[in-house]
Amino acid sequence: MQRIFLALAVIVAIFLTLPLLIIVPMSFSTVKTFQFPPPGYGLQFYRNFFSDPTWLEPTANSVVIAVIMAVLTMALVVPASFAYVRQRFLGRGLINLLIMAPLIVPSVVSALGYYGAFGLVRLNGTVLGVALAHTALAIPVAFLVMTATLKGFDRNLERAAMISGATPLRTFFHVTMPVLAPGIATAALFAFLASFNEAVVALFIAGRNASTLPKKMFESIRLETDPVISVVSTILVAILVCFMLGSLLRRGNPRNAS
Amino acid sequence: MAVAAEAISSGQSAQYRRDRQKTFALLAPCVAFLLVLFVIPIGYVLLLSVTDPTVSLAQFERVFTTPIYLRVLWHTFFVAFVVTVLTLVLGYPLAYVTACRDDAWSKILLSLVALSFWTGLMVRTYSWMIILGKSGPVIGLIKAFGVAEPPQLLFTSFSSALGMTHIMLPYMVLALYSVMKKFEPNYLRAAESLGATPFTAFRAIFVPLSLPGVVNGSVLVFTICLGFYITPILLGGPRDIMLSQLIDQQVSEMLNWGFAAALSIVLLAATAVVLGIYNRLVGLDRLWG
Repeated sequence: MQRIFLALAVIVAIFLTLPLLIIVPMSFSTVKTFQFPPPGYGLQFYRNFFSDPTWLEPTANSVVIAVIMAVLTMALVVPASFAYVRQRFLGRGLINLLIMAPLIVPSVVSALGYYGAFGLVRLNGTVLGVALAHTALAIPVAFLVMTATLKGFDRNLERAAMISGATPLRTFFHVTMPVLAPGIATAALFAFLASFNEAVVALFIAGRNASTLPKKMFESIRLETDPVISVVSTILVAILVCFMLGSLLRRGNPRNAS
Repeated sequence: MAVAAEAISSGQSAQYRRDRQKTFALLAPCVAFLLVLFVIPIGYVLLLSVTDPTVSLAQFERVFTTPIYLRVLWHTFFVAFVVTVLTLVLGYPLAYVTACRDDAWSKILLSLVALSFWTGLMVRTYSWMIILGKSGPVIGLIKAFGVAEPPQLLFTSFSSALGMTHIMLPYMVLALYSVMKKFEPNYLRAAESLGATPFTAFRAIFVPLSLPGVVNGSVLVFTICLGFYITPILLGGPRDIMLSQLIDQQVSEMLNWGFAAALSIVLLAATAVVLGIYNRLVGLDRLWG
């Protein structure tokens, strides 16, 4: 029975992975269609990507937005998660619901809301507007990681530091923070990726000036059969694979996946 | 004595007050941010749905009395259900192997799930357009078998559901995995030492204990599928559309914001009902555990 399950699991894993690999040969195609397998191989579309501002600008926007929002998200989420895990207070359930709400509300609904509300304060089509919206959407993701990290934190470490004469501030920076650092880094990375992959809200509010990579990809798929999109996809998957191999080799344990 | 007790209690209440101030200071920025930058925009959609173009419930009436729109609603629920069942059937053995084996297979498979989880939805939707497209490998294969007129695969409900299944599969696997990981293998050994065959032990012990993961994964996948936007729009066909495609049409072709808002509120309400039932039976904070 173990063997049957393993065989089934491998087949499903192939179904999961093969579509990610099929874009690699596509990115080296020489024709401007979705023909697979491609009739010939070359670097033409890589050159196009790296010389075309209509692709490079969204790429830069995506990175800038994701960095701004990751910093902002962590600045908001770290204090909130401390209060949420360590204190008992009135309305705790309600606060939790509010923080988780962006994960519950379907993204089209949020997108429509941002489009309408940001239109009133002229945030549509700005990098700041997209970064603010993405921050709200990533708060629950970062909050989940942070609260899980904090629940696993042994407070006796802090008590030991205090008994040994450390001030609360010193305890925080020399004991609490170093222990929590990997959790905080994971939360920030999740926030970054949530923004970097987010398409729906960006589609509604980014406009021309703050267009992000997923938005540009959507438009490219819809309007033209531009194989540059497979170049972008290949690069993104390659970065992800390198990153995952790196963290796998470092920890020897892929459990940080979820 | 009394003075000492009072001193202690006033000391406690001062401590209590300090704690409350600290809690407030820590939570306030995050809560304020979400109130302004999330609750207000969602409220705006609600406002739009009952005021655009006039103050009335006409947009909602239109959703629930027009047969085409009711069909769209029904189809959305149907597709979400099908995708949920498919991800469960495909995800269960994969989660079982990753959670219950302790070898290289488990690590490799889990890494593949994680890779696919973090690969953007746009990349994965695009790759299905190549795979199922007119000049793609599947059609090529069908032609190679001598079928002169291969069926239309892309831009149908089939391709849309297939793409969504592929994208939602990692969510299901990870939800199942986090529950299965806690399973105590000794239970199976106990059952087998009492004479159960491996299959009976699996069916009578492992499967029931994995049900919380099944429920979590299904609720997660189902609710996300109800509001799935990008993939049905890019992979789906012109007939039998989902709610998201209808909203897209209303916004980008008809520029009918009031109706799009009303549809969004219906979508939000449907999601809230599913999660509300889940909250009653299980408790919402377990969903993302």
